[in-house]
Amino acid sequence: MNGMLSTSWLPLLAIVAPIVGGMLVFRAASWERKAAGFQVVAVCSATTLSVCAFMAYQVSRGHQIELSLLELVPPIRLALRVDAMGALFAMTVASLFVLAQAHAIGYLSNDRRQWAFHGFLLASLGCMIGVALAANLVTLLLFYELFSLLAYPLIVHERTPKAFRAGLKYLIYILSGGALIFSGIVLAYWLAGSVDFLPGGVLPMTAPNSALQTIWCLLVAGFGVKAALMPLHGWVPDAHPAAPAPFSAVLSGVMVAAGVFAIVRVLLEIFGPAMLDQLGVLPWLAGFSGFAIVAAAMLAVAENDLKRRLAYSTISQMAYVSLAATLLHPVALTGALVHITHHAFFKGGLFLCAGSILAVTGLRRISRMRGLGWRMPWTAGTFTLLALAMTGLPPLSGFVGKWTLGTGMAQAGGFGHLAVMLLGSLLAAAYLWPVIYRIWQRPEQDDPLHAGASRDERHERRGWMLFAVLAAGAATVALGVAAGLPGFPLELARMAAEQLLGPSAWK
Amino acid sequence: MIDWPHWLPLLAVLPLVGGVLTPLLFHRLPNAACFWAASIAALTLAVAVALLVRLLASGGFGYAVGGWLPQYGIELRFDEIGALAVAAGFIALLSLVFSRHYVARAVEPDRAPLYYALVLINLGGLNGFLVTGDLFNLFVFMEIFSVSAYALVAMARAPIAALAALKYLLLGALSSLLVLFSVGVVFAMTGTLNIEDAAVLLDASSAMPAGLALAGLATGFAVKAALFPVHFWLPDAHAAAPAPVSAILSALVVKAGVVGLLRTLELFAGGDDLLQPLLTLIVWLGALGALGGALMALVQRDIKRMLAYSTVANIGYIFIGLGLATASAVSGAMVHSVNHAVMKSALFLAAGAIIHRTGLRNIDDLRGLGRRMPITAFGMAVALIALSGVPPAAGFVGKWQIALGALEAGQPWLVAVLVVAGIVVLAFGVRVINALYFRPPARVPVASAIEVPASMWLPVLLLAVASLALGLAGTPMLAFVGPAVQSVYGTIP
Repeated sequence: MNGMLSTSWLPLLAIVAPIVGGMLVFRAASWERKAAGFQVVAVCSATTLSVCAFMAYQVSRGHQIELSLLELVPPIRLALRVDAMGALFAMTVASLFVLAQAHAIGYLSNDRRQWAFHGFLLASLGCMIGVALAANLVTLLLFYELFSLLAYPLIVHERTPKAFRAGLKYLIYILSGGALIFSGIVLAYWLAGSVDFLPGGVLPMTAPNSALQTIWCLLVAGFGVKAALMPLHGWVPDAHPAAPAPFSAVLSGVMVAAGVFAIVRVLLEIFGPAMLDQLGVLPWLAGFSGFAIVAAAMLAVAENDLKRRLAYSTISQMAYVSLAATLLHPVALTGALVHITHHAFFKGGLFLCAGSILAVTGLRRISRMRGLGWRMPWTAGTFTLLALAMTGLPPLSGFVGKWTLGTGMAQAGGFGHLAVMLLGSLLAAAYLWPVIYRIWQRPEQDDPLHAGASRDERHERRGWMLFAVLAAGAATVALGVAAGLPGFPLELARMAAEQLLGPSAWK
Repeated sequence: MIDWPHWLPLLAVLPLVGGVLTPLLFHRLPNAACFWAASIAALTLAVAVALLVRLLASGGFGYAVGGWLPQYGIELRFDEIGALAVAAGFIALLSLVFSRHYVARAVEPDRAPLYYALVLINLGGLNGFLVTGDLFNLFVFMEIFSVSAYALVAMARAPIAALAALKYLLLGALSSLLVLFSVGVVFAMTGTLNIEDAAVLLDASSAMPAGLALAGLATGFAVKAALFPVHFWLPDAHAAAPAPVSAILSALVVKAGVVGLLRTLELFAGGDDLLQPLLTLIVWLGALGALGGALMALVQRDIKRMLAYSTVANIGYIFIGLGLATASAVSGAMVHSVNHAVMKSALFLAAGAIIHRTGLRNIDDLRGLGRRMPITAFGMAVALIALSGVPPAAGFVGKWQIALGALEAGQPWLVAVLVVAGIVVLAFGVRVINALYFRPPARVPVASAIEVPASMWLPVLLLAVASLALGLAGTPMLAFVGPAVQSVYGTIP
């Protein structure tokens, strides 16, 4: 790749527009000015989405965009850089947030604090884009802390004691993680004199191993909290059911992924493959990831609450990515990055479905969802589709990610990795199939849930919620069927792997 | 105009004279006294800014009082440390503006002019302390700002205020005595009171008298700065004082102790054997203060006591930085002194606005106030987050630089101290923010509260915005204090 660099204010626009928009939405946060709030949300989300799409297009043409802003502490600048990995993640984030915003309009339509929710969601979109496009660790930490804090009001949105407990747990986990990251960054800066992301790593090979291992532990554990790397996942199964469904979708789809994203950045652009081999730390990460894949999936099988089951599934699915990253193999890495994107849509979509089900029927427990499919055919149908995508059924998007991951692992000789991943997939089928089976069972005639409902209530509501759910389904199909087309995630992920590991890694 | 030489003495003389005149001119007119005091403070700020402009243009400069040249006469000096006078003027001005409505309720009406007089005298004493180049004057100005501070604490109506002021007075008097005694020792050893001159003449190698003087000065200023374990006067005094006074005390008066310590280090620059143990001790005490203060803040229920303990924690940070004696740590500590002043005054003023409206000080009672007093609550939330050192807010610069300094000095455990203290600070910040925004109102005064008048929310908002903006100005500020670091510590890595 002949890295054509150019400076542009576009990445800043993608970050600032939603943050400013979020503040404006607060001003419009009343019933009377619903239209104004809606317009702001629509315009800002659309701006960010189109800017991200344009940047992704530029990147796929071989350009890279850089923007260096003011100096925070010498010589560390607030700097943004759009490379293939960042562009792909930014694009994913921006699209999923659009779906979440759309779903939230319907989901929260009777909520007094609806526009506060939209405002926080919009502001956290800007910060997430900042994480995707950060050019150094300090910039990444800045946006990472901001969106972590912004997530708190979204988690406790419903103001129930359960939500507050989940929110508190979330904060304790995330703030401790942030502290570890801060220590790791200071240490890394002290050793390397720079914390810019640079393919191949910035840390000096001459540094003592113990110091490097300390940095590795601090950074991986710190971001691992967000990435729900077991055993640091404690907040995940509580925060997801407590949050309103559109935010659960974002939380699972891209926020947990942001932790994994940051881990990949740290591994490949702070340490670099050569140093990781020398340090011998990768087997540890692989071990923890493998454990997470299996253990979280088993917990998911045992879970009755639908959103909790999906949350455990996120832990398992995101561990695929960190497991694949430890192989330092381009195909595996491509699979990992593309899996982040595909997972965002199918898992986000599943959460949106769960939200729609909750909003229409008030059901959380899987065991009570018998016959739901006959009552809400479109939502249940999309749920089924997305669940099949997650289990890896071709030609849906989940298959593309897993196939690439699997071939990468095989090519890298990681057959143990492959076995663990296949076991995870098997378990994924085990925790999703019962849901599908349950919702398409014929309802019993005397089921109070259905017997009591009038004809109107039996049917799902149309409108924004359904639109978001169907859009997630359509995205999953499109990403699977057309995965090979230029401009689709697979191409960007390939470019990213090439940029991160160097062209020679492809052999 | 900028080069007019007499700006420098005016920095201290203006507020002192203005302060003395206040009760004479306005003893029946508390409102007019407020306008008068604010105008004087604004003029003082303008003078400080003019001096800063000259400093930036041509470096540090001196002034011989009465035309008597240094070594014989009294010298005033304006250097990068003295530039703290700009922050002092800014915060004093905003506190005075804030006081107009606050003091009408919190202080006996016939004492209000006295209150404004004391605030101005306090500012004058601080400014004099910052710019004097003379050891005895250092003591005199210290007494001026200390005594006015004791009186200001006692001004509050609560019965606890008198007791807190007494505690503050006893400790303060003891520390002043130590400083005076040490100044005497230095004078006896060198025959001069000029700091620069004495630094050259002082035989720092002689352990006994010089060590005694150093110990006396360091202890005295440590008490003024509320360094752990001589901090115990601070929570009572800062919590009991009227809120604008708490802001000035926490933001500025304790920083005078820090500046005093810097001047002491300047004085003993030659004596490494003496300084090294002191610096090591300061690091340890600072670390204990940072952790202890943060933890004590976490368990407080009274919002002002919580903020007061957080000041102890931040003073701990600053002393860690000063004690580490590496360029990044010291410059970080200096910058953090200013940033903390801005953040903490925003917090105390916001707390004052809340107490003014609702009369509630218990954090759990403030539930739901974010909806009723949006601007005040916003200011408080922003300043709390900035305080915890989340980038890019103002707290980050100091935390980063001091952590980096700890690594440079080979003491990585201090990074852990800073980080843990940072988490605790964020934890109590979250506790307050949670109460303000995410809980339904539990108390009647909250449910009926309305936003304070603009003269109260505007200072809060300005300071809150400044505590975000200063985080973006980290690099120029660090570059600005660079020469001061060199002059205090000599050439250090």
